[in-house]
Amino acid sequence: MNKRLASSDRAPTDWKAEAMQKRIRRRYAAERRFKLMGLAAVVLSAAFLAFLLATMAANGARGFMRTEVALEFDFPALALPVDRAQLSTPGADLALAGAELENVVKGAASAAYPGPVPLISDNGWLTVRDAIKADPGILGRKERIWIPASPEIQLALRGEGDPAVVTGASKLEGLGAIRTGFNRDFLTASNSTDPMVAGIWGALKGSLLTMAITFLIAFPVGVLSAIYLEEYATRNRWTDLIEVSINNLAAVPSIIFGLLGLAVFLGTWEMFGHQFGPLLPRSAAVVGGLTLALMIMPVIVIASRNAIKAVPPSIRDAALGIGASRVQVVFHHVLPLAMPGILTGTIIGMARALGETAPLLLIGMRAFVVQPPQGFTDPATVLPVQIFLWSDEVSRVFVEKTSAAIIVLLVFLLAMNGLAIYLRNRFETRW
Amino acid sequence: MLIAVPALALAACNSNSTREIRAVGSSTVFPFTALVAEAFVNQGGTSRPPVVESIGTGAGIARFCGGAGWEYPDIANASRRMKKSEYALCEKNGVGEIIEVQIGVDGVALAESNNGPKLQLSKKDVYLALAASPGGKPNAARTWQDVNPALPAIPIQVMGPPSTSGTRDALVELIMEPGCAEANPEAKELKKSKDTGPYDKLCKRIRDDGAYIDKGENDNLIVQGLAQNPNAVGVFGYSYLEENAARLHGVPIEGVTPSYEAIASRTYPGARPLFLYVKKRHLRAVPGLSDFLKLYATMWDPQGKLVKRGLIAAPEDVRAHSRDIVAGGIALDPAQLH
Repeated sequence: MNKRLASSDRAPTDWKAEAMQKRIRRRYAAERRFKLMGLAAVVLSAAFLAFLLATMAANGARGFMRTEVALEFDFPALALPVDRAQLSTPGADLALAGAELENVVKGAASAAYPGPVPLISDNGWLTVRDAIKADPGILGRKERIWIPASPEIQLALRGEGDPAVVTGASKLEGLGAIRTGFNRDFLTASNSTDPMVAGIWGALKGSLLTMAITFLIAFPVGVLSAIYLEEYATRNRWTDLIEVSINNLAAVPSIIFGLLGLAVFLGTWEMFGHQFGPLLPRSAAVVGGLTLALMIMPVIVIASRNAIKAVPPSIRDAALGIGASRVQVVFHHVLPLAMPGILTGTIIGMARALGETAPLLLIGMRAFVVQPPQGFTDPATVLPVQIFLWSDEVSRVFVEKTSAAIIVLLVFLLAMNGLAIYLRNRFETRW
Repeated sequence: MLIAVPALALAACNSNSTREIRAVGSSTVFPFTALVAEAFVNQGGTSRPPVVESIGTGAGIARFCGGAGWEYPDIANASRRMKKSEYALCEKNGVGEIIEVQIGVDGVALAESNNGPKLQLSKKDVYLALAASPGGKPNAARTWQDVNPALPAIPIQVMGPPSTSGTRDALVELIMEPGCAEANPEAKELKKSKDTGPYDKLCKRIRDDGAYIDKGENDNLIVQGLAQNPNAVGVFGYSYLEENAARLHGVPIEGVTPSYEAIASRTYPGARPLFLYVKKRHLRAVPGLSDFLKLYATMWDPQGKLVKRGLIAAPEDVRAHSRDIVAGGIALDPAQLH
């Protein structure tokens, strides 16, 4: 009582006084400054993102486009020495290569355009081969086939390069024998040394297979460890030690996991491999997936533990109170409620794994592979490694492909993050 | 063990007893071997595409020499000759006989922007400009004129690859070391001594005070850097100079401009041979390996596809010798290495 009286003894604050007004102005100014700093930070990061997306879109848009030229083939006159019956067998490639198809196509191209640069790309003859394989009937008639142009012609159409080639290319354009359009091969073909036919599908499929292994291993193991640590383990020195180790593991640089993968998976294979056959070969999606699973497991454990911790104890008590067993409590009540958090954590971990290159370099996924992997043990590469390999290529067309591949990777990441947000909103419960 | 079980089950449905051809090694040779690998698949030579890894010459040979058998590569791509010590490692691990095939020549080119000062350098100039301690003293040269009074007074700025790169090894071995021997008569004696430290310090170490700008493994960055800075000199593989001929030109060394002919005939000082090393035992064991090498041999001629992609063809006698080696599977005589 005394104290209150004492405080009321003080003179009331004089808000109009000069000193007070100054103090209030300073307070407001500090408030504004802080707000502006926050805004500047947001604008700066948005500007970086916009710059990245704009450069990628500007460079990459061209990477999705390809110039093609039309060539007329009079197959009966060419009389390719191939047996038609063979064309539907696996020996078709060998038969057509043996018939010197490559030279036939290149000869036709240089007859149509006797310029200083080749008209069609190095692997352009494969388009003709695939056309013959798809419909052997064309061997009996004349056929006009669109073939990828050479990089020089593609650049010349934009007015880059040798002036003589530029005029030659625009003359072809006038004849209607040249077109530039969306490059479907880019999304369906595998890596190639020829930039005009190189595609992203091999790497994308490698990424999908690797991610599948990563998810199948990291998700169950991570979630089960989180459940055990949260719901069953008693708190003692050992669980503390485990918790500290998991937190530390989540912060270990990814290259260390690559060394671990090299030593553990490939090393074990080298010790025991001969009895089992090729189970964990170098450069395979299965080894990449195992390595990345080790990398993101701690992230999943931490996210899952936090999500499980956030489920109110009243839910557990109520379930136990009406006679549910511990397993029923976990699987019927706690896990469904914790799922949005667990899934968000998992997808963030998977997104990190998708963008990872360093550990994969060590287990041999920095490799040139011409065909998409057929299974988990086939040699494969992944999207970020493909981007890395292309960025080092000499040809100018590969520079555009690099940006286009980055766009594909960003879309993939965006889709995963979108899925994370959708799942979170779908399963979220509020109380 | 918990981790391994589902993986094994998944993997088991896809196992196959034969194996694809595997090549590892130099990033310089990588595009050429990749090109042959692709052609090999396109010609229907195999259903399992060869795998080519780019991990650098040293690391590649180390893996190659790890042993003979399923899990070790069949081919090592090398942008320099195998060392005697590396051959000894192979021997120790039971690799057996090795075939050495020279596939062509590569040049480490010095280049500048077309707006550049048109430098003319000698090996000694390059050594004096780039060595960490020419003549045993820390390098004090700031401009090219400090190195050689005949050169213009523009600051020394050389953009090049990092120390892990085979191209940088080639710069040191082909240009700096001979330049060092010219500038320091005692270098010859030092090289013979057992303790390599003093020689490396005098001749091989590149300065790190900013005159040599490490641009990372991506040679496209060096090309861009030269376009922005006309006074700088870039160091990269000759194929990059060829591809960017509209923007850059080569810097002559000892009066020889880096050109296709000068490198093929090895009159340009920065020329180096490129090799494949193949395990003789694998020739029989790995399906398609010897056909792969034969295909390689058809593509390295001056009109071949590899040359179009930037390889420099070796002189005819070297090519003929390499063809004989491939055809006959002639093993390397380790006494030739050093």
